[in-house]
Amino acid sequence: MAEPILKGEYQSEVDRSEPILRAGNTNCGGCGMSVAYNMLSLAAAKHQLQFVIPACCGIVTPGQFPYSAYGAPVVASTFAAAAATASGLAATAQMNGEDTRVVCWAGDGGTYDIGMATVSAAAERNEDILYVCYDNEIYGNTGGQRSSATPLGAATTTTPAGKDIGKKDILAIMAAHRVPYAASISLGHADDAVDKFKKALNMSGFRFLHILAPCPTGWKSEAAEGIGLIRLAVSAGLFQVFEVWDGQRFEISIEPEFSRSALKSYMEKQGRFKEELVDLDAVEQAVRNSWDILSQRAKMSS
Amino acid sequence: MANQSLEIRLHGRGGQGGVTCAKILATVYSRLGKSVQTFGDYSGERSGAPVRAYTRVSDGPITNRNKVYEPDHLLVLDDNLLGETTVAGLAEGGALVVNTAKCEDDLAGDLGAWQLATVDATAIARRHGIGTRSVVIVNTTIAGAFCRVLGIDLAVLEETYEGLGFSSNFAAAKEAYEAVCVREDWESRGATADISVAALPEVGELVEHTHSPPTGLLTGSWSSQRPAYMEKLAPCSAWCPAGNDVVGFVRAAATEGEEAAAHILGRTTPLSATCGRVCPAPCMEGCNRAEYDGSVNIRGLERIVADNFPVARANRAPAADARSVAIIGGGPAGLAAAYELARAGQRATIFEHEAELGGVLRTGIPTYRLPREVLDQEVNGILALGVQARCGESVDAEQLGALAEEYDGVLLATGLQRLRGLDIPGAELGGIGQGIEFLHGVNLESAAGPLELSGHVVVLGGGNTAMDCARSALRCGAERVTVAYRRTRDAMPAIAEEIVEADHEGVVFLTQRQPVAFHPSVQDGARLGSLELAEVEMGEPDESGRRSPVVTDRTERLACEHVLLALGQSADLSCLPAGWQLEDDGRIDTGASAPKAAVRAAGDVTTWEGTVTHAIGSGRRAAGLLMVAAGIDVEVFERPDRARAVPATAIRFDHFEKREPALDRAADAAARVTDLREANLGLEDSAEALRCFSCGKCTECDTCLVYCPEGIISRHTENGRQRGYAVDESFCKGCGICVEECPRESMEMIEL
Amino acid sequence: MTIQLISANHASAMAATLAGRANRNARGFGGGVYPITPQTECIELLCRQQFDKGSIVRVESEHSAMAVCMGMSVSGARTFTASSSNGLAYMAENVYAAAFSRLPIVMMAVNRTLGPPWNIWVDHGDTLMLRDAGWIQLYCQDNQEVADSIIFSYRLAEDARVLLPAMVCQDAFVLSHTMMETDLPEQEQVDRYLPDLDLPHRVKFDPVMIGGLDFPRETEVHRRQHQEALERVFDVYGECQDEFEEVFGRRPPDPVVPYCMDDAEIAFVSMGTTSSTTDTVVDKLRAEGIRAGSVRVRMYRPFPEKALTEMLANCERVGVLDRDISLGLGGVLWSEVRGCAPRALVQGYMLGLGGGDVRPQHIESLFRELAASSSAAAPKLVEVG
Repeated sequence: MAEPILKGEYQSEVDRSEPILRAGNTNCGGCGMSVAYNMLSLAAAKHQLQFVIPACCGIVTPGQFPYSAYGAPVVASTFAAAAATASGLAATAQMNGEDTRVVCWAGDGGTYDIGMATVSAAAERNEDILYVCYDNEIYGNTGGQRSSATPLGAATTTTPAGKDIGKKDILAIMAAHRVPYAASISLGHADDAVDKFKKALNMSGFRFLHILAPCPTGWKSEAAEGIGLIRLAVSAGLFQVFEVWDGQRFEISIEPEFSRSALKSYMEKQGRFKEELVDLDAVEQAVRNSWDILSQRAKMSS
Repeated sequence: MANQSLEIRLHGRGGQGGVTCAKILATVYSRLGKSVQTFGDYSGERSGAPVRAYTRVSDGPITNRNKVYEPDHLLVLDDNLLGETTVAGLAEGGALVVNTAKCEDDLAGDLGAWQLATVDATAIARRHGIGTRSVVIVNTTIAGAFCRVLGIDLAVLEETYEGLGFSSNFAAAKEAYEAVCVREDWESRGATADISVAALPEVGELVEHTHSPPTGLLTGSWSSQRPAYMEKLAPCSAWCPAGNDVVGFVRAAATEGEEAAAHILGRTTPLSATCGRVCPAPCMEGCNRAEYDGSVNIRGLERIVADNFPVARANRAPAADARSVAIIGGGPAGLAAAYELARAGQRATIFEHEAELGGVLRTGIPTYRLPREVLDQEVNGILALGVQARCGESVDAEQLGALAEEYDGVLLATGLQRLRGLDIPGAELGGIGQGIEFLHGVNLESAAGPLELSGHVVVLGGGNTAMDCARSALRCGAERVTVAYRRTRDAMPAIAEEIVEADHEGVVFLTQRQPVAFHPSVQDGARLGSLELAEVEMGEPDESGRRSPVVTDRTERLACEHVLLALGQSADLSCLPAGWQLEDDGRIDTGASAPKAAVRAAGDVTTWEGTVTHAIGSGRRAAGLLMVAAGIDVEVFERPDRARAVPATAIRFDHFEKREPALDRAADAAARVTDLREANLGLEDSAEALRCFSCGKCTECDTCLVYCPEGIISRHTENGRQRGYAVDESFCKGCGICVEECPRESMEMIEL
Repeated sequence: MTIQLISANHASAMAATLAGRANRNARGFGGGVYPITPQTECIELLCRQQFDKGSIVRVESEHSAMAVCMGMSVSGARTFTASSSNGLAYMAENVYAAAFSRLPIVMMAVNRTLGPPWNIWVDHGDTLMLRDAGWIQLYCQDNQEVADSIIFSYRLAEDARVLLPAMVCQDAFVLSHTMMETDLPEQEQVDRYLPDLDLPHRVKFDPVMIGGLDFPRETEVHRRQHQEALERVFDVYGECQDEFEEVFGRRPPDPVVPYCMDDAEIAFVSMGTTSSTTDTVVDKLRAEGIRAGSVRVRMYRPFPEKALTEMLANCERVGVLDRDISLGLGGVLWSEVRGCAPRALVQGYMLGLGGGDVRPQHIESLFRELAASSSAAAPKLVEVG
């Protein structure tokens, strides 16, 4: 990694007058969503943004009326309707010739679950929206229930013994919509994150970004270690970091090391994983299988 | 008769377990046969945000469904929450239990009207491992303190914890029960205002809402820890015996250029071009990058920096009342001492028995390793600062005594003059000589003319002198050179690269061999014909962990024409006047003579460490001590404590890309042995400096700033230049990501 | 002006198109649309229209249809959608959200029975389910009224004193698919009637949170503001009627429409096309010398309690004809009208549920029954088949 990371460009050249998420928000310390916002701020310096945020921690964090911890305009949508509400904002912007970047910022609940139909439809219509799913693998806002993004073996308040089935492959779903751009972002690799935010902001049409966002409260992990956990997930191949253009061209961003020690360490550092439910050999096999498919597709598109 | 009732309000922060604490208290009272009710305030706030919880207790049924506005007792789980709104409504004389590490007088506000009880529940809970580093859960602990204040039997609490499944936390509660400090007396403050119904705040029209100001919520109060930037000792600097700011010069080379790097080197050494060639580089041994993808080539960097920008430079002009110091010996220790003195504005005079300054650098180190012009340039740099050189002058005991009366300080830096011989049969045969003398001859091209060797030359020893002899012998006509050493190759004290180079040049290594006899030549009985070597086995490790060699009776004979002894040297102290004594710490006890000058020794004569860099450090320290003895206020160099250096485990390797070290360029091995031109060509450029981890020293890499979830780390500017970062503490939630992510351990979390 | 023989579905679509085009010099027009019987023809026709500045988004659900309207409205566009029955139920969350966000969206709702069992025919249970959502609700009795009400609703909803969404309701098939001669105004007239929409709280690029978090204190004030805006509707309504009359030459009906009420002793209160049928019965009874009257509640929200109370002040008997049922209580309209006729005998009837064809004979017999009764009975569900 070159020093300084990001070449030091953002603060000196293109700093936003206001961060997207201001200080004084009520997110937990060490919240991965907050980290993602900080990185988006760095990437989005020059863009005019409008946010649509459905029910999720992100809509509670700014505090109550008339204040806001967001340094950007935000429309709170109903839980399932973020992508549709954003479609409305994008439509107005488009017919008025405005260069607005409409950003949907939703959790895994609002994306994988209740918002799935809406996201799918907006993707199919190729709405001019940047859809960001910060996936903390849990209904964090309601105190930690399982979602369809909760991984195998993770205990939640509604799966106290650990979830007995794995998570949806959201990027495969989005790629199947053949949207112009779909990518996963590693918060543990700031260059990767900021580059992809920039790339996505500079495109038009429906762009989907998937962020694995550490949640110290829900993951029962040390707040300080959240970013390190993401690097472990990437290294173990659990969280695969890649890009898909038009649902066809696949490009791998970070090669995993498929390290068993990273896999173990990822799980051990989080109180949510039930050891007895997680067969590391099986997890590793599944990771390799899905990676094989991904790398095949990447080879085919190169 | 009305029901006896009790209302308790609790103030805490999200994640501390305030609601559960209120439930614990309710359960305790329930066990005592009371009717109870307990609930918390629920809102959208998160871990660390202020929250309230309530417990209501009565002898009879409870119908009140409101929050508690006028509590009988108050629990405060975080002393930062103390303030008017927190204590509002608390009944006079009621218990006010506060979790705090402060003593009661330091707590905010006038708390005189209540029975104040303080306990450091956070420390207790942290000790018992309840919660995480950033969020310590204090509920089960402080409940113990509350029970004590309210006179509730600890056994009831223990039963309560059993019932609630909190038994593992009981020990912490018990500790708090015992540790809580209760102030029994309180003073009445008279009637208090009715606070139960506050004036309602204005709320704006929704359809006029077009701008949202920031919340003003100071989340900095949520945490009990803060990040701090600090500079820590890098191992390279800690390992450097000369005391160079190694990480400093390497970083400067990477960011500001070689000239800035030369400036930093010049603060501690005048001999960087020399050290950049001949130093064994302990810095590289300490380098944390060795654990990742190979040490930074620090020696190579020192060389290129000093070759391009001579390091020696004046700190300040000689002082009017400058002290004078006589230095005996113009080797590295003497030169470093003179430099240290000159930079401090003092007068140094060097007495050197050779015709030119440099000592072993000139006489012992072959020119293919250290070209004369490099040494000359560095020596001239020192002289240019006003150092006097009296070359060709030997100093005997009488003269030394006289110098001690003439100068304010005298430093003995004569090195190791006595050479170790080999007391085995045949040692008197022709063709056997001391390696040092051979090198002296080669280097100074003595009166006898350039040395010519022929045939097979065997060098005995494994240190740098042995390598120098072996490689010089090749350059002086030897057909074959063998180094015989009694331990293994790995145990050779010579610089590893030197051994490799010798190997490349064709030197043969014969290890675990001990010479037992020299045998005369068949043709000429006065000359050496062969060397008898015994095989050596490595025995049990001694106290230092080094295996001591055990000589066997298996021997072999090695036909050879020359043997060069490189078995070590020792100090010659015959120049000390009678009654003077060299102490272990380098001080020279002048006994009854009590001369004007303070007298010390430096370099190999006292340390026996045998490297240029050690000599420099020793010379610097001695110079400093002499100045202090002469009444000058200077900082005396002290070798840093390696144990304090940032360990490799503290470096976040995953922030760095793997990159092989840049190696010195070598001249072609076959060509270079034909003459004495420099064999090592050094680095191509100083790009290698970019590999430096900069352990413990902030590089303004922005990692903290980029990963900070709150976006509250900003670049700090001083006089228009960036100098590190500033953390907005009023908002810092203390998550610790910045510290955890810092690639180089230049940050730390501080508990408040 | 052109008189066309068209269904109320098509009349709605054309009225919305005219209103939408009228905002072309401002931030344009659009909305999310989703088909449901018997509203589908409306959005089909809308999707065939051209707009200089407009965007009709063909979404995947009613929930999203309203969400698109909210997104467009909050960014300043004039918006329209249409739905019915279970579609409205599915949309309900966003119906509330639109009003709470104070967005002047206009929705055409075709009143259809909620299922299952599935039934596509008229009753008012679907929109009445949304009576507490904070919208203006207008119930129409003919196609012209439907078309006019849509244009009128934009004027009312977008008024700076109101800023609330409005729902224009029409009976399934009885209006939605029934062709009537309808006078569709010229674009120039609509342009004159509807000023450019300038939403005061339109989201721009300033930091602002629309629809974020309220604590109890904020919510109680926001609800009060909402209530006050609905109360102001009565005054603004009159102005909108006056202006409408000036531009289009006809006056939209009042919130409460009396028929032969000046001296009525017995009156029936109803909504939608039932009122039209009731009026014919009144004619017949009047011919017999019975002092009968009919009251149509055109604007159900805000509820015109004052006007109704005045209108019913001299009635001895009041019957309420609900085309809905609040299960476990009785008619929805009845439960509210009760309070407007304190001295009268008020009897509730529920009829025409699930699209039962309410004929004059049914209503006439109820008139006669009520005229003969001396005390009110429990609300009665009248089966008409």
